[in-house]
Amino acid sequence: MIELTGSQLVIRLPEVHEAARLTIDFQRTLRIPDDDREYPLPAGLGQFPLRHVDDFARTVPAPWIEHGGVMLAMYQAEALWVRFDGQYPFAVKIATGKINAVTGEGWRDGLNRDPQDYLTAPAQPWLDGYCVEKGVIRQFVAMPLGRGYSAEEQITGRADVGGLQIVAYPMKREAFASRHTRPGMWLGTAVFSKSSTGESLGMGLAPGGRMRQEIFRDHSDLSDWDQRHRARCFVHIANSVQWRGITGEAPPTQPVTAEAYRRARIPWFDYYAADLKALEGSGILGRLRSVVQLGKDKRETPIPENDSVAIDRVVQLRRGLERSEVREGAF
Amino acid sequence: MATFGPYIRDRRERLRREDPRFSVRQVADRIGVEPSFLSKVERDEVPPPSEEKIVALARDLGEDADVLLAMAGKVSSDLQRVIRKRPELFAALIREMKNLPDQAVLRLVREVRDGNW
Repeated sequence: MIELTGSQLVIRLPEVHEAARLTIDFQRTLRIPDDDREYPLPAGLGQFPLRHVDDFARTVPAPWIEHGGVMLAMYQAEALWVRFDGQYPFAVKIATGKINAVTGEGWRDGLNRDPQDYLTAPAQPWLDGYCVEKGVIRQFVAMPLGRGYSAEEQITGRADVGGLQIVAYPMKREAFASRHTRPGMWLGTAVFSKSSTGESLGMGLAPGGRMRQEIFRDHSDLSDWDQRHRARCFVHIANSVQWRGITGEAPPTQPVTAEAYRRARIPWFDYYAADLKALEGSGILGRLRSVVQLGKDKRETPIPENDSVAIDRVVQLRRGLERSEVREGAF
Repeated sequence: MATFGPYIRDRRERLRREDPRFSVRQVADRIGVEPSFLSKVERDEVPPPSEEKIVALARDLGEDADVLLAMAGKVSSDLQRVIRKRPELFAALIREMKNLPDQAVLRLVREVRDGNW
């Protein structure tokens, strides 16, 4: 089952194992420049507040009720990253607009290899964007659906789905027991044409700037994952106007500017896992146009500012993060 | 069940074996109390600290804040607010549920509904 606790999705599958617990949240962050340089990881600056869509059944677009799940508010061109936390291994598939963020393929149930279409938590502690090359992602950036920028629209030519989709499968109890002898010490084997106006669908995610981040190869057997049990969630993304219409409240957060990030002296991060191998990037995702590239093609300015940012301090994080090691910043 | 102080000491010491940053001094610094105070708390020589410090301690040690608060004989202020709004209802609910197995309690937790994608 998935429960919403504060602004975290908490997955628990006690029918598989009493320790089968994974939390997922969505971190506000700096949108890195979309200038073809490669940036380290920007800090997490707090969670995007989440709400049950069912609590706003009268005001959300009808497809959101059909999809179920939760919603969050983002401004155009705002960025996010997804954080995973837990001790028990899970295989997690993430899609935006039902386009897989690791492979660029359309949504398929189950876990697949060749290419691997999922990541493993907690070995992979976060995902910041689309896996476009080996060791490089393009950051998740919110863009209104119907304008052609989202990965979904670039690949399918349609703006039908939007949002973010997550499904998590736990490791089988026996597989977990065979490799996990001391509780709490398991560190993982790895962590167009517009067909609709898109107005009622809210936001989709689109590829932004380039960031150094590896998506790790899963060294387990595919049969180690329990595909009979799963937890999945549709995360809808409302723009600020839509959020007001739905909830009657102002959007709970404001985007972070590069200037505020620099002024607050928030560091950048690099994450190393020398014992893990990175997946090759997806050819499909590698061919996507970034928001700025596509904006130039369309003679539009979809992003308010895109100046390069000087990186003054990079904190190294290593696999098997200590409790005191966090990828966070504060103003 | 261990009392609050020895439980904290046990959890902190386990972490310290693998990471020196979990010494009394460094944990006390991170949660904003004097090391001598934390040391007394661990020996049950003084009552547990405030809710704010217990929550900070839980976060630092990777423990569940509600569990630590309960061990310290406290209920978090957000839960108190919830109960105060409808005290009779929640008192009855909690008494009814006191002997239910975890699985049954979990069934009452609101699930994020999954629909058709």
